Amino acid sequence: MSTATRTIGTGPGAWLAYVGATLAALPGQYVAALRQRRVRTLGLTLLFVLIALYPLIGHYVLADFSRNVFPLPFPDDTVATFMTIFAIMAIGLNIVAGFAGLLDLGYVAFYAIGAYTAAFLASPHFGALGINLTFLGNVGPGAAGIHLPYWLIVVIAVIVVATAGALLGAPTLRLRGDYLAIVTLGFGEIVPLFFKNLSSVTFSLTLGPINIQIANQNWTGGVQGINPIDPPFLPWLNLVFDARSGPLAVYLGLFLLALAIVVARNLERSRIGRAWGAIREDETAAEMMGVNTVRTKLLAFALGASFAGVAGSFQASYLGASTSDFFDFTISILVLIMVILGGIGNIWGAVLGAFVLTYVDKTLLPYIGQRIGDVAPSIPNPAEYNFLIFGVILVLMMRFRPQGLLPSRQREAELSVGGLAEAERDMGAPLDLDNVSVAPPGQGETGPDARDVEVPGEARDL
Amino acid sequence: MDQLIQVLIIGLANGLIFALVALGYTLVYGIIELINFAHGDVFMLGSMLAFGLIAPVASGGLGVFSITAATPAPLMVVQIVATLLICMVAMAFLNVSIERVAYRPLRHAPKLAPLISAIGMSFVLQNVGLVFGGAYQRTIEPIFPTNNLLAPLGITDIVVTPSQVFVAVVTVPLLIILSWFVGRTRQGRAMRATAQDPDTAGLMGVDVNRTIALTFLIGGALAGAAGVVQILYNNYTVWNLGFRFGLNSFTAAVLGGIGNLQGAVLGALLIGEINALSDFYLSTNWTQVIVFGVLIAILVFKPTGLLGQQLADRA
Amino acid sequence: MSALQPLPLPTTMLTGTLQDSALLVKARGVTKRFGGLTAVNNVDFDIPRGSIVSLIGPNGAGKTTFFNMITGYYVPSAGNISFDDHPIVSAKGNRVRGLKPHEVTSLGIGRTFQNIRLFGTMSALDNVRVGMNVHLKSHWWDSVFRSPGMLREEQALIDECMALLKLVDLDTRSETWARNLPYGDQRRLEIARALATRPKLLLLDEPTAGMNSSETRQMTDFIQRLRGELGLTVLLIEHDMRVVMGISDRVTVLDYGEVIAEGAPAEVRANPRVVEAYLGRGAAEGA
Repeated sequence: MSTATRTIGTGPGAWLAYVGATLAALPGQYVAALRQRRVRTLGLTLLFVLIALYPLIGHYVLADFSRNVFPLPFPDDTVATFMTIFAIMAIGLNIVAGFAGLLDLGYVAFYAIGAYTAAFLASPHFGALGINLTFLGNVGPGAAGIHLPYWLIVVIAVIVVATAGALLGAPTLRLRGDYLAIVTLGFGEIVPLFFKNLSSVTFSLTLGPINIQIANQNWTGGVQGINPIDPPFLPWLNLVFDARSGPLAVYLGLFLLALAIVVARNLERSRIGRAWGAIREDETAAEMMGVNTVRTKLLAFALGASFAGVAGSFQASYLGASTSDFFDFTISILVLIMVILGGIGNIWGAVLGAFVLTYVDKTLLPYIGQRIGDVAPSIPNPAEYNFLIFGVILVLMMRFRPQGLLPSRQREAELSVGGLAEAERDMGAPLDLDNVSVAPPGQGETGPDARDVEVPGEARDL
Repeated sequence: MDQLIQVLIIGLANGLIFALVALGYTLVYGIIELINFAHGDVFMLGSMLAFGLIAPVASGGLGVFSITAATPAPLMVVQIVATLLICMVAMAFLNVSIERVAYRPLRHAPKLAPLISAIGMSFVLQNVGLVFGGAYQRTIEPIFPTNNLLAPLGITDIVVTPSQVFVAVVTVPLLIILSWFVGRTRQGRAMRATAQDPDTAGLMGVDVNRTIALTFLIGGALAGAAGVVQILYNNYTVWNLGFRFGLNSFTAAVLGGIGNLQGAVLGALLIGEINALSDFYLSTNWTQVIVFGVLIAILVFKPTGLLGQQLADRA
Repeated sequence: MSALQPLPLPTTMLTGTLQDSALLVKARGVTKRFGGLTAVNNVDFDIPRGSIVSLIGPNGAGKTTFFNMITGYYVPSAGNISFDDHPIVSAKGNRVRGLKPHEVTSLGIGRTFQNIRLFGTMSALDNVRVGMNVHLKSHWWDSVFRSPGMLREEQALIDECMALLKLVDLDTRSETWARNLPYGDQRRLEIARALATRPKLLLLDEPTAGMNSSETRQMTDFIQRLRGELGLTVLLIEHDMRVVMGISDRVTVLDYGEVIAEGAPAEVRANPRVVEAYLGRGAAEGA
């Protein structure tokens, strides 16, 4: 905790000064870390440099090599962009499921809402319904439909998706874990179905002075979808970040990802992060200690959802199109697998899981399939059976390594029997085995909500 | 009005199939509080196996029984019974194996771990169906005659076909047998005891592991039977059949009161009717939305369902 | 934590004898039914400000249920409870409405649990910090942007929580995970966490369970310091009669959900109904 905070004031000026001071202090901190722990800091530095340079390396060097010399399974621009998109979503789901411990199986609904927000607000789609509005958009004068700039769309998408998350959560968050999972699964199915079905709306209502006649209007684009969607653009440098822009879009994705990581870290290290941890450990005790569990869980849902809103709006703007076929249950599960594989509760784990799984699903498996297909066409193509592999991964992970590749220390201790000793070694504190107490009942699970259920018999012992 | 009755009859037939699958969900949830995501896919594999046995090679099946409309009735009966037995045994065995591999090791893990494992298992089974059945629907020619059994009574506007009667003939006895088994036999009592309190049941001499395995065995057998009925009544199967059927059946189980056997059947019949009404009067596009809507509504407003809990009294 | 003068205690503290202004908690007609079982039956209960009151009785008498109703975890089937002149449970006709637990906590009631319920995989400091959550002013957007206001609040928070840890002698172990602390330390950490909610009333549920006599003595001294130095009012559930007799200003005895005796410790101990409740009719007659 920097002592500088004691001396600065309040207000936006002070906040900017604080941010500036923090950024200015980074090089000094980095050099100090380098001196202290050479290997690890060097390794991480190398990793970050590689990631920062990869879009250029991939687009220019590897693509060329792959075309002319020998095909390599390297993630191309589109795959790399999707790696960042899924990483943002994984971070969001990690907040809901990892920090707060709420299993959301319908995360795709928020992804879809984010995408369609971009689709509605940056395409000619609403021109057909007579709504035309251009504000700072990158289109000619008099363009049909609504056209807003991407940065504004992201803000709106975050607000819309967070509201949707709050609306979904309000009646459902008091349900116990597995029921909540099913309800969220339901929403994850219903929302894309609405986007699919509202492509041909016919409705008429005549009630006194009210006369609504809607005939075969296309509200959401349905299976055919909405296109073209304006890509993100930067006016001063005249840059467009669409699917044809090569490494540019990947850099925009990395930038959004970096923002997502910062926001998630800030939330984790704040009072709300501690409240989430308390709820996950023992919801009843948290409530008794003054944590408004309903509001805190709702915040987890809404804030977690907003990450999917950013990812969805970026995806739609990047691809330039959005159809309901893009969004189904398998995406919800895919993001969940990323979070679990990477390490539930750990932000970097979520990023790692997303990178690995997107790469495997979109580059590695198709590559292997092609190589096998070249040699032995009768062997089934693994790319078509990707979910078989992912399903096996899920079953094996829950059995043998539920804490994931990069475990968060809390979850590791909760999930593995031997985790206590390992976690202690990490913490560096000596373990007083003679005096370790037995864990209280109900730790690690959410407590019963006695307000909803009358328990006959023994008064519940708190 | 006649149209409505016709729709309701169709809903009843599908509802009975849902009932067989819903019982699997409710039995398993009642005993280990797990939503067995993979159960619908066990049903799908049962129908795939049934397809393989029944369909002639020309239709893409294995041609084991090759039942067609031309098969003489006594032989058809024997072959159908044989198919039922094979599928029920096979799916029972599959279900028990799944429990052994994916759920039993996680019995003491945090509650959500077996649920996630079940999701993974569901994907695995779907892909097995994809490998064996291909990406598209597999169909057979209808086997039963299509005459209206109500015709001799002078009713021509409402149709009840032999295949619908077949559904009832298979499902109703199974439901009765199950009810008797759970209610009257020693093993059934053991199941109910384990559902109430596994630790105490264990102390009272109940082999909890075997009881749970038995539950999965029964659920699998019912799913296998449902698969056979699906092929013979609806005449098709496809690798993602389990998802839609699973959703409907699980909703039925929750609607009736999860853990409650009678509730599962009642809920299934209701869901069958809801499906039929929605398909006919709205459009099939919206049916899934409505069923999901029903599921969410029950869980939010009345999680104990219509008949409340019976098999297990835990909230 | 300012050092308050110990409040001058009234000579009689029986329920119903003091004016409302002298009471921190006033409960009347509190009843709790679970289906067919009545766990607490028509209990009147006063807690004067600045007092240490003990609630005792055989197992299953309804003591913890009563705690749970004061803290909002259960809503009573009947009755009303007011805390610091705020109604926290009120009845209108047949409907009883109560504040939610976190609202009750923010009014100033803190508690510990009979079976320790710490947040095991969080450090001692973080456990206490969670207790302080109810009094923090920063919002979630402050957390997202790490505003200077939030950072200052966090620093002040750490200072205050470390002071609480020092009070319970755990400041050197602030980074240890709660579940790795020895049993006695865990009990004291729970109290520190409850104190972080800045309570006026502290509910302690069997605070000396599992302790030997020297630890028990330390705990009772500590409880008296809480009353004396911090001005807290304390309601205790206890089974250890030495503790009850030693520090209580007043003792209330529950049996089968009803108050069977109330008074100064010595009076209650000699009360034949109390003896009978604990030891059976034969013991009461022989006493």
